[in-house]
Amino acid sequence: MTKEFTIFSLALKNLKRKPLRTGILIVAIGLLVSVLVFALSFVRRVDSSIRITSDRLGSDLLIVPTGSRGAAEDVLLENKVKSFYMDKGIIDRVKNIKGIDRLTYQTYLVTITGVCCDVPETIVVAFNQDTDFVIKPWLTKKLGRELKKGEAIVGSESAFNIRLGLTEVDSVLFGSIFKMVGVLDKTGTGLDTAIFIDDKNIDEILQKGKANIKPGQISVIFAKVRKGYDPYEVAGSIEDSIIEADTVARKDIGKGLINTLRDINRIFSATVMLASILSIFLVWAVFSAIANERAKEVGIMRAIGAKENHVVKIFFLEVFVIGSIGSILGIISGTVLSLLLAKTFIILKNLSNDLSIAERISIGILSLFAGTGICVVGALLPIQRIKKLEPLLAIKEE
Amino acid sequence: MSQIEIADISKIYTIGDLNIRAVDNVSLKIEKGEFLSVVGHSGSGKTTLISIIGGIIRPTSGRVLFEGSDISSLNDEKLSEYRNEKIGFMFQFASLLPILTAKENVLLPGIFSPKEKSGAAGKAEEYLNMVGIGEKTNAYPSQLSGGQQRRVAIARALMNEPEVILADEPTGDLDEETEAEIMELFKRLNREKKVTFIFITHNLDLARQAQKQIRMTHGVIKEI
Repeated sequence: MTKEFTIFSLALKNLKRKPLRTGILIVAIGLLVSVLVFALSFVRRVDSSIRITSDRLGSDLLIVPTGSRGAAEDVLLENKVKSFYMDKGIIDRVKNIKGIDRLTYQTYLVTITGVCCDVPETIVVAFNQDTDFVIKPWLTKKLGRELKKGEAIVGSESAFNIRLGLTEVDSVLFGSIFKMVGVLDKTGTGLDTAIFIDDKNIDEILQKGKANIKPGQISVIFAKVRKGYDPYEVAGSIEDSIIEADTVARKDIGKGLINTLRDINRIFSATVMLASILSIFLVWAVFSAIANERAKEVGIMRAIGAKENHVVKIFFLEVFVIGSIGSILGIISGTVLSLLLAKTFIILKNLSNDLSIAERISIGILSLFAGTGICVVGALLPIQRIKKLEPLLAIKEE
Repeated sequence: MSQIEIADISKIYTIGDLNIRAVDNVSLKIEKGEFLSVVGHSGSGKTTLISIIGGIIRPTSGRVLFEGSDISSLNDEKLSEYRNEKIGFMFQFASLLPILTAKENVLLPGIFSPKEKSGAAGKAEEYLNMVGIGEKTNAYPSQLSGGQQRRVAIARALMNEPEVILADEPTGDLDEETEAEIMELFKRLNREKKVTFIFITHNLDLARQAQKQIRMTHGVIKEI
């Protein structure tokens, strides 16, 4: 069967006539879109990771030892292995602050392979199951019951879990044997790499003396604020009355990262903006040359009945093909780049959340529109000029 | 009613302060199926006259009636439709698109037409056979001789079954033998398809083969 000859096939033939030129345009758009995809993936990943973590922790305020705000964020956002402690008595003092509704606390213990424990270096989170509202929803979902003394459950991305393909094994933690009873679902927080035990195990751990913790110490208090109270005001009251503690409101979790991110965002925006302007100029220059080159052909087409909108359609189809192929290549290379380079950026490496498929698709669609749109903007003036060509003048330019 | 009626048309080109009257107050009637030649020196206004008839350019003044309708008042879209449906063009040079095969060049007017396109490929092949290059349908213009390119241009001009074919020196750079063959083809098409032919030539022998001859000088018709 013969292939139908259409305006689209004419546009494709036009693109094929100078493959190198078409290729250069496609590569230029591809590079631009690649940078755009990479920048968006980077910024969105950090941003959404912070948002998800602060939402999933389920508390309005975090109360940590004075000066340990950064360390707490490192643990909660970036999977870093750090420990920090304050006096357990602070819990009662916080309880008395006006506006506090519920409280729970966690104690972070750092494992040292071969010294205290037979697991790779990680954080062991001791939490109080009676008051907890941070881990419990995940625990209930996975285990359907509370953890018993001597039992532990590991985070979805725990190195321990990944290395051993853990189901039910016994492990030594701080000199005591713990039975690993399962793996939590992904929480999307930095705690996904941790091991969780009940707070009741702390006394035995202290007795064995293999953990770097003193009696009566905890790491962090999670607090919910009563309805109608402003978390910032409550945080202020805590800091005013408890000098040994710093507070972080939910919306301020990762504030340091967000500020760094803003600067990175500005750098990316400026780079993408300059690359876009450069691409627009490139497309404009190439299509101006194409318009001059094809003036006679357009004159012939106009003389045999092509309307202005036919000419516009032919050129825009070429622009769309270049824009969309370039954008698709850019989306693929930008995504691959963002996945490969994620391991080389410390800020990304330590984040527990990767972008979801939906987020990657939305970045892809946005970049496709941007790449094609830049092509259209660049080609607009040359196309406007050529559609207005007098057919006779064009034909006579032999 | 004449098929084409030109009434007092003038075309003035302005270059800087200079006004050039390419066509000066010309009136003419052309009947359906006529075979007409236009002769004259370079710059006598021949190409401008047939471009006005073909709706490629608009006259500065005067009217061009095609089957009673004034084409000089049509907007760009309607004028393009007129060129596409009623007129077949052949230019001074073969004017084929180099990236298209002979067959695709013939199909070109069809893609700008709103008419049903089924069977267009078969029709293009039929016209290429009719003009004697049926075996060259997939050849590109660069692979064809000058005479073969002219034949493709004729087939393209016929593709939308126009009522008038306007040819501007259609055999200008061809050898005598090919020139004679092309003229025979024109006459056959005029006879068989009843298409009106208006062609410009510098060759007086060729011009004499037309039923009617027009001589132009300085934008004015001197003789019919």
